[in-house]
Amino acid sequence: MGETPRIGERVELLELSDVWLIDPAGGREGRGSLRVEDGFVTTVEWVDDVPAGWTAPDPMTTDVGQSRPSVLVAPAFIDLHVHLREPGREDAETVATGLAAAAHGGFGTVCAMANTTPAIDTAGLVEEELAAARGSGSPVRLLPYGTVTAGRRGDTLSHMGEMADAGAVGFSDDGSPVGDASLFRNALTYAGALGRMLVEHAEEPALTKGAEANEGLVSTVLGLKGWPAAAEESAVARDLALLAEVVASYPASAAPRLHLTHLSTAGSVELVRRAKAAGLPVTCDVTPHHLAFHEGWVAGDRRFAWEAPVTPWSRGDADAPPYDQSTRVNPPLRTPADALSLWGGLGDGTVDAIATDHAPHTQVDKLVEFGDAAPGISGIETAFSLVFAGVAAGLLPLQAAVRALTAGPARVLGATATVALGRRHPRGPLTPGLVPGATASLVVIDLDDTWQVTGDTLRSKGKNSPVLGRRLPGRVLATVVDGRFAYVDAGMAAELVTALAAVRAG
Amino acid sequence: MTPGDATTVEAGVRGDAAEARVPGEARSVVEVAEAPEARSVAEAPEAAAARTTAVTRRGAVGRARTRAPATTAGWTHRHLLDVDGLSAADIDLVMRTADEMKEILGRPIPKVPTLRGTQVTILFYEASTRTRVSFEVAAKNLSADVVNIAASSSSVSKGESLVDTIRTIEALGADMIVMRHSRSGAPYLAAQVFSGHVLNGGDGWHAHPTQALLDLFTLRERLPGGQVAGRKVVILGDILHSRVARSNIWTLTTMGADVWVCGPSTLLRGFDRWAAAAPDGRRLTVTTDLRAALRGAHAVMALRLQQERMASGLLPSLREYSLRYGLTAETLRWARADALVMHPGPMNEGVEIGPEIADFERSVVTEQVANGVAVRMALLYLLAGSRTIEEERNRG
Repeated sequence: MGETPRIGERVELLELSDVWLIDPAGGREGRGSLRVEDGFVTTVEWVDDVPAGWTAPDPMTTDVGQSRPSVLVAPAFIDLHVHLREPGREDAETVATGLAAAAHGGFGTVCAMANTTPAIDTAGLVEEELAAARGSGSPVRLLPYGTVTAGRRGDTLSHMGEMADAGAVGFSDDGSPVGDASLFRNALTYAGALGRMLVEHAEEPALTKGAEANEGLVSTVLGLKGWPAAAEESAVARDLALLAEVVASYPASAAPRLHLTHLSTAGSVELVRRAKAAGLPVTCDVTPHHLAFHEGWVAGDRRFAWEAPVTPWSRGDADAPPYDQSTRVNPPLRTPADALSLWGGLGDGTVDAIATDHAPHTQVDKLVEFGDAAPGISGIETAFSLVFAGVAAGLLPLQAAVRALTAGPARVLGATATVALGRRHPRGPLTPGLVPGATASLVVIDLDDTWQVTGDTLRSKGKNSPVLGRRLPGRVLATVVDGRFAYVDAGMAAELVTALAAVRAG
Repeated sequence: MTPGDATTVEAGVRGDAAEARVPGEARSVVEVAEAPEARSVAEAPEAAAARTTAVTRRGAVGRARTRAPATTAGWTHRHLLDVDGLSAADIDLVMRTADEMKEILGRPIPKVPTLRGTQVTILFYEASTRTRVSFEVAAKNLSADVVNIAASSSSVSKGESLVDTIRTIEALGADMIVMRHSRSGAPYLAAQVFSGHVLNGGDGWHAHPTQALLDLFTLRERLPGGQVAGRKVVILGDILHSRVARSNIWTLTTMGADVWVCGPSTLLRGFDRWAAAAPDGRRLTVTTDLRAALRGAHAVMALRLQQERMASGLLPSLREYSLRYGLTAETLRWARADALVMHPGPMNEGVEIGPEIADFERSVVTEQVANGVAVRMALLYLLAGSRTIEEERNRG
């Protein structure tokens, strides 16, 4: 009789037969089997290899003429944007709980934002962050960001070079923009020479002073101070103009790289679309909550962005009371039309990645007046389910969604991830593929099963989710990172034990 | 009816309920629990039966029914957080109840024992005189015990959270909280943690339900035929920052009025979208053109313009505002000759409203204040009864 696999334990044997395989790096999708032995992928068999570019007419049930197997196997997800709160706010999240939450969400790699207390602005703090990850016992890879400015104060540059040497994967003052355009330009140039990207939270602060919700119909009716779309779009436009200028004026060795995180409006996506067409070195991500929710959620609507919203005049149809603090987030939940254009951006490749902006908060910081509630959603565990709900509604092929959670963010990180990981992770770079011989980093999800989001099922300390209490589609059965178990669902664990016992007996 | 009769009637109506109380224990919500059917105007058969019992016990009840406040039956709202959830029937019930309360206010001793033993806590996080006093008078007229908490003089200023404050107030025995707060939506948070009734006395830019209802009550009294449906009502001024405007948009459009909001473009931000989303049957027009707004208007409600709007760059100057949007004898000529002038107060005479208009014969500003007490009595009464309705249902 075997034992339930423990977190961090090497995968002795994982036999996944008749599953739906997605290998976004190779652009392959189809029915097949996969076997992991002693932490390595030993066999990948494609039975019905779906042609490249093929789109399932009905993602829920169809493949080539037969029903899709229930279980999806894909490379473990990569999250470009999480807040782990350590050091400083261990009551809201720790590196250990954050990584456990990530694994529960199917993520094998997370990039941790630097807006902790103190902010991660020196090499020593970067090393502490990495040490905390090692000490957590979780195999989930943590890639730390350093701040752009010292203390995240926005006036002078942080110790970028030292932090890069210590393993910082990029630089970001996330939580706030780099408001000073001159400093932003310098940071972009300097980080470029270090081979690191700048991750920018695009927001024009003069337009968002005291802002509580998206400026529009809902903010007008609820009397909330508006956060206009133009506050994001004008900042994106500024950032892109400065990027173009740096690209044109500096030697190629400076190679600036700009990544715009949590874009939330149709206009922002359009600006990036044009910038990419012009060949600028820019990438971007969107969050699951901006894809699935919309401003109506602040007013108590609980329909997804692709479902018909409740109008403010028919508030009697709303599902929840208004002013739910869990819907307060920065940037704010936008209109359903904005959400749909984010899906469009994923579809045409303008948007490179889905990143969660996982922002756990304590109840003390959330159970206050709406406008005083700490902005942010605890979202890493519900990310796949929300995206899959959109896939099920026909907004994006499943493979494209998986790509935005794996190969997309891997490409954004590019060589920097290899450099940063090479130093800390002997197993080497991110491998978002299903390749025999590679160390196993993969996620196993039952697409036809659901799970209930509750305070207990969420591993994160942050229970601040607008879908708390709700059943969502797509249940993560296991997450394997670098050949080790990062998460195993209880039911799956029992099966594994039986299977392993059978193999041993045989 | 002589004053003496009135007193007797009150005693009659409330008397049987008072008998039902467990001495020293039950609060007056229980009193209402026993009473509503007995006071019912339009009755269900079982209610009629209950009344028969009451009549048997109390000879005076028969006549009392015609003068007593309308029944709380049909009122299903535990809290009054906003007016957006009130149907036309709900609003009618508030108006009819306020009519009865106004009759009580006309008596030599305008006091009834309805909320005896009920503790009403008035929790104001913003400075206010008229609304706070109006609630206090209303609660006292209903014989409630009133506790006043001004945020500056309580532990609120020591950084206590709203939730903790509400829990403390509940532990101190409050049955109802009347709350004013500078943050939109704050009463929803209070309602989430408080087991009694929350009455929104104004939250941020969001809602001022009792003001909108007293405005409607005043319009019903003063408009020809008592008819609000089809009448053109103009709300003028700083719409963007006004909870009075938002709540009036809800109640007036629900009652079928033709509502126009008018002001400088910077103070109308977002309202075009709201108007555009209005379904058939809701009439809301947004304009910067004062003349177009006033043309044919039956009533004009001027809103207070605050100095801080200049500081935040929304307007060049008060002078420019009053020249373009001030309600004066001259601009009022564009409205109907019998147009009513309203203002939620406090007024900046010479800014949004000319001094000649403020105490003009068609100005109903002081009536608004007086009606405020009746409307707030009605709401306190209805909310206190609503708990019972729920309890009755649970029991059944």
